[in-house]
Amino acid sequence: MARVVVLGAGISGHTAALHLRRLLGKEHEVVVVSPNSKWNWIPSNIWVGVGKMSTEQVTFPLAPIYKRKGIVFHQALGIELHPEGSSENPHPYVSVRYTDPSREGQVADLEYDYLINATGPKLNFAATPGLGPDANTVSVCTAGHAVEASKALSAVIEKMKKGERQSLVVGVGHGTCTCEGAAFEYTFNVEHELRAAGVRDMADLTYLTNEYELGDFGVGGMTFSQGGLETSSKLWTESLFRERGVKAILQSHVEKIEPGEIFYEQLDGSKNKLAFDFAMLLPPFRGADMKAFNQAGEDVTADVFAPNGFMRVDADYTAKPYDEWRAADWPHTYESAHYPNVFGVGIAFAPPHPISRPRTSPNGTVISPAPPRTGMPSGVMGKTVAMTIVSRIKLGTSSAPHRASMADMGASCVASAGTGLLHGSAAAMTMYPIVPDYEKYPTGRSQKDTFGEIGLAGHWIKFMLHFLFIYKAKARPFWHLIPE
Amino acid sequence: MDNAEASIASAPLPTPGTLRRRNNIIFQLWRFIALNVRMASMILKGDH
Repeated sequence: MARVVVLGAGISGHTAALHLRRLLGKEHEVVVVSPNSKWNWIPSNIWVGVGKMSTEQVTFPLAPIYKRKGIVFHQALGIELHPEGSSENPHPYVSVRYTDPSREGQVADLEYDYLINATGPKLNFAATPGLGPDANTVSVCTAGHAVEASKALSAVIEKMKKGERQSLVVGVGHGTCTCEGAAFEYTFNVEHELRAAGVRDMADLTYLTNEYELGDFGVGGMTFSQGGLETSSKLWTESLFRERGVKAILQSHVEKIEPGEIFYEQLDGSKNKLAFDFAMLLPPFRGADMKAFNQAGEDVTADVFAPNGFMRVDADYTAKPYDEWRAADWPHTYESAHYPNVFGVGIAFAPPHPISRPRTSPNGTVISPAPPRTGMPSGVMGKTVAMTIVSRIKLGTSSAPHRASMADMGASCVASAGTGLLHGSAAAMTMYPIVPDYEKYPTGRSQKDTFGEIGLAGHWIKFMLHFLFIYKAKARPFWHLIPE
Repeated sequence: MDNAEASIASAPLPTPGTLRRRNNIIFQLWRFIALNVRMASMILKGDH
């Protein structure tokens, strides 16, 4: 009998757990550890953030799903990894601290035969003084945050209706943030709501980003083929900004935020200020800050995890300049660099380096996006690692791992630009591969499979995906036929 | 006018025809199908 423990019940971890349970016999145990009692379809938090959806529409309790599927669930936070066991117990285990109200704060050790670290991002608001819902800005990273963002947005809309001009800023709150796509989405959903409320002319709306140019999205931009010509995602995105009258401040690192004022540095080293009445700025991410110990009890955290808290896997972490980055640097199997029965997936694995060109200001400030690990690749990684573990349990530990490199995988990103069954729109983008491979493709990506299109159809697709992925996550009949 | 502002100001705007097509139900129904097919074929292509 094998026990597989999955840390995290986001897109990656929950997907892994469901596939494991589906493919393994009942004699094997699948355990999920998550500090959250609910699953959240994060892509729709944007719509909660503009008041178009409720938290109930984007979340559901995990416990009933896991009970129905025969998955053991611990509402707890993983705090320590003991991949070699300890001097008292040779079996690998993970220490967890319960967040379940009935045993909050209690610590337990869960032994495992295989462990999947799918802990996702730690929202590092602390990296920028004054950033975050407990300070001066709103967020859409969680459904709860998004509700507060919606209330703040409604308040400024009311002021504008009374004739008071307002400054709204949406973007990223640190030079190394990722998720620029989400910031872009929220910008245009806000813009859409301002128009719908009849106050667009009373609003100054600014997108504040660490991207070198618009359309970068943390993936170094894309090249689309349109009308028989190659065009850049830069031009395509700038067109939307011009069309909707949204300003942009690029190449920015937010240093601190005081009530009503953002202080930021730009890539040329200049220091600037931006006044705001409403600001939604995403935080940078860290890993979940678990520690790791060897059998002797020595701290091996620095071996197992990168300094940013993400887990080292089968990537090439050799420090090298941008011009020497290769698609092959990226992991394929997501096995821990040190322990073959431990895996890191989704946002929890440590990328070898960014995708976008790294840039630093004359003051030494890093101002370039971290690489995104969006929903689709995260789900694929979760499923892939689940299949590897199933193969090893059924066929033996020498069974070859399944592979899913971001350099051999595409992604679809549907960025909403405003809701409405008849008047909404979204930018539907795909890229193949996610990590550009300049050895295979002149532009880094397949022209045929890399495209972007704005229109009502994109909104319908995003709306459809909302229902499809919640159906899938609830493990309804034939859920596994829905691709990641 | 800074570089970002200048770049946005000179970006091409969608034509009136493009704007109409973006919200035309019949045209967008066709695009819904076409986009889903393209996305599905890209998903199936991946290494997994």
